[in-house]
Amino acid sequence: MKRSIRSIALGSAALVAAGTLIACGSSDSGTAAGGAVTLQMIESLSSPDRTTLLKSMLATFESQNPGIKVQLVTPPTEQADNKIQQILQAGSGADVLEVRDTTVGPFGTNGWLYDMTPDMAKWTGLGDLTDTAQKYSKTADGKTYFIPYGFYGLSLFYRTDLVKAAGFAGPPKSWDELLEQASKIQDAGKNKYGYAFRGGKNGFSNVVTAIEAYVGDDLDTENAFKTKDGKTIFATDEAKQAAATYFKLFKQASPPSSVAWGYPEMVEGFNNGSTAFLLQDPEVIAAISKSSAVKADQWSTAPLLVGPSGKAAQPVATAGWGVAQASSHKPEAVKLIQFLSGEASKEFDQKNSLVPILKSAQNDEFYKTGPWASYVTMTKDTSTWLTVIQPRGVAWWSEWQTKADSDLQQVLIGKLSSDDMLAGWDTYWTQKWATK
Amino acid sequence: MTTTEQRPGAPVGVPGRRKAVSHGRRTFSSSKGFTVLAFLAPAIVVVLLFTYYPMIRGAQMAFRQWNLYDLRTTPWIGFDNFRSLMNDPNWGTIVSNTVIWVVGSLIPQLVIGFGLALLLRRKFRGRGIYQALVFFPWAVSGFLIGILFRWMFNSEFGVINDLLKKVGLIDANIPWLADPDLARLSTVIANVWYGVTFFTIMILAALQSVPDDVLEASAIDGAGKVRTLWSVVIPYIRTTLALTVLLRVIWIFNFPDIIYGMTGGGPANQTHIITTWMISLTQQGDYGRASALGLIVLVVLVAFASFYLLAVKERDKK
Repeated sequence: MKRSIRSIALGSAALVAAGTLIACGSSDSGTAAGGAVTLQMIESLSSPDRTTLLKSMLATFESQNPGIKVQLVTPPTEQADNKIQQILQAGSGADVLEVRDTTVGPFGTNGWLYDMTPDMAKWTGLGDLTDTAQKYSKTADGKTYFIPYGFYGLSLFYRTDLVKAAGFAGPPKSWDELLEQASKIQDAGKNKYGYAFRGGKNGFSNVVTAIEAYVGDDLDTENAFKTKDGKTIFATDEAKQAAATYFKLFKQASPPSSVAWGYPEMVEGFNNGSTAFLLQDPEVIAAISKSSAVKADQWSTAPLLVGPSGKAAQPVATAGWGVAQASSHKPEAVKLIQFLSGEASKEFDQKNSLVPILKSAQNDEFYKTGPWASYVTMTKDTSTWLTVIQPRGVAWWSEWQTKADSDLQQVLIGKLSSDDMLAGWDTYWTQKWATK
Repeated sequence: MTTTEQRPGAPVGVPGRRKAVSHGRRTFSSSKGFTVLAFLAPAIVVVLLFTYYPMIRGAQMAFRQWNLYDLRTTPWIGFDNFRSLMNDPNWGTIVSNTVIWVVGSLIPQLVIGFGLALLLRRKFRGRGIYQALVFFPWAVSGFLIGILFRWMFNSEFGVINDLLKKVGLIDANIPWLADPDLARLSTVIANVWYGVTFFTIMILAALQSVPDDVLEASAIDGAGKVRTLWSVVIPYIRTTLALTVLLRVIWIFNFPDIIYGMTGGGPANQTHIITTWMISLTQQGDYGRASALGLIVLVVLVAFASFYLLAVKERDKK
C-alpha cells in the first residue's frame, strides 16, 4: 500500500515535470505532417463582417496555394493591439499581422517586424499600388514593415434636408461656415444638434485637423505637427484661432454631453437624426446607409473643411499587413500579403468603405458616386486638400493620445484654458523632439 | 480540541505544544516527507509557475523603465516610477475617487443586498424564478455592464433621461457622463446595481442557516422583527457578513471594468480609480508605472485585509 502511494506521488511529480518541460519547450513550427505550412494571422481592427470577408479571401488564397494554410486569429478589437504586442514580444504565435500607422513605430523600434523591402522590390504588383499606398508602405528610414490595405480619410457627413431648411444653399466649405450652419440648426429643446462633437476617446484628433487647416500652406507635409520653420503647429497664432472656432462649435452647436462622446456616440447621433454634421472616416458610409432614421436622400458628404487660407490637411490614417520578425515562414507570409494587396484588396476596400490602394480601383464607378464623390474631389485637388503625414508612428504616440484627450476634456469642462492647452502641447512636442 | 492529555512516554509537565512537536519528529520521516512533497508538487508547481513567477516578473518592472513601445533599454530606476505616480497632478483625485468608489458602492450594496435577502428568505410563489432574476447581473461581464450603462446614461439618447422626463422629474437633459461629479455618481450607481447580487447570495445563504427555533425563542421572549434582526439574526451571521464585506472591498477596489466601459476614466481623468489608471498606463505601453501601481494596490489591500481581520477577531473575543 505504502509503495503504491509513493508510486502515485512519484507519478504525479513526474507528470508535472514532464508537462512543464513540454510547455516550456514547445514551439509552433507551423509545419504540418504533410509538409503544408500553416500561417498564423492576427487581425486588429476587426468586425464580424470584416472577419467573414477576410476568411473568404483566405480561402481563395489557400485554394491558389495548396501548400499553405492560414489560421486567422481575431482578438476583441479593444484589446487586439495589446494582444498583438504580447504575441510579438513572446516571439511566437503570429506570422502575418495587422499593423497600424500608430503601431508600426513601436513594433519596428522593438525589432518585431520583418523588413519586406527585398521581397517587395521583386514583386510585380508594387507598381499597381497608388502613390499614397507606396509612400505609406515605407517608413522614414526606408523600411517596408507593412503594406497598407486601404486608407481612412476625413470628410464631412451632413444632413442635406436640415442644411436646406436652415436656409443654406449647400454644405459648409470651411470651419467658420460649419460653425455658422451648425449653430443655426441647433435646437437643444427639440433634441436637435448641429455638430456631432468628439470630446471622448481620440477627441484631440479633430481639433488638430482644424489647427492644420488654419496653418494651411505653412505646414510641413512630412510632419504635420510642424510648421515649415520647424516649430510646432500648436505655437502658431493660427492654432489659437482654430481652437477658438472649434470650442465655439462645442458651446454653440453641439450636445452638451458630447464632452464624453467617442466614435459610437458620434455615429449614433448622426444615424438617429439628432445631429446635422459629423466629421468621420468613410467607413461610416456603410453604417449610415443602413440607418432607418435618416433616408438616403437626407444625407451626403462634403470634402474636408478648409481654414481661412482655403486649405485643409487630410491626415491620412492607414493600416495594413506585415510579417513578424520571429516568423519561420517569411516567404509564405510575404506571399499572402502580396495576395491581399493585389486584386483581392478591391473587394476588401469597397466592403469596408476604405480609400483603395490600387490605381485601377480608383476608376471604379463605385468611388465616383454618392457619398464617395467628395473623396474623389479631395484626391483630385491636392493643392487644396494637402495630403500630410502626422507623426503617428512615434513611440510616444499612445502617451500623446491619452494626454491630448485629457487636456481637451479639461478645456471642455472649464478646468483649462484653450491657450494653456496649446502651450502644453507645444512644450510636449518640442521636448519630445529635442530628446528623442 | 485543545486537549492537554499526555501521551505515554512524554516528559511530565511538558505542555501540549511541545508534545505536538515531539509527536511530529517521531512520525514525519524523510521518506514520508518526500511522498507528501511529491503529492503537493503539482499544486506547488502550478502556483509557482502561474501565480508567483508572473507576479515577481511584473513586480520587477515597477523598478525599471519599462515601456512596451521601446524595449531596447529597460534600465533599473529604483523608486522613480512610484515618485512619478505620486507627483502626477491626477494622483490626489484618483486616490479620493478610489475611496469614493469603494465606500460609495459597498454601503448601498450591503444595505440593498441585505434587504433583498430578507425578502427572498420568505416563501412565496415564483421565488425560484425571482431569485434567478436577482442573481442574473452577477453572470454578466463587468465591461459589458459598463457599456450598457454608458448608453443608458447618455444624455441625449439614453433611457435614464428619457424616463426622468416622462415622469416629469426633469425638463432638460442631465449630462450624466459629461460632468465629473455626475459621471462619478453614474459609475457608482451601475456598480451598486451589479454588486447587490453578491451580497444577496451570500446573506441569503447565511440567513437560511439561522435555526428556526432561535427565531421562535426570540419571538416567545417578546422581541419584535427589528429587535430579532438586530439582536439575533445579525450576530448569528456576523462572520459571513464580515467576510463578505472584506471580499467585496477587495473586489470593488480591483474592479475597473464598469468605469472603464462607462467613462474610460474621463472626463479629463476625473473618474479614474487606481485600477482604471493602471489600464490606461498599460495602454500607453508604460508597464513600469502600471506595475508600480499594481504593487501599491497589493500593499494597500494586504494592509487593509490584515487590519480588518484583526479588528473582527478582536471584536469576536469581546
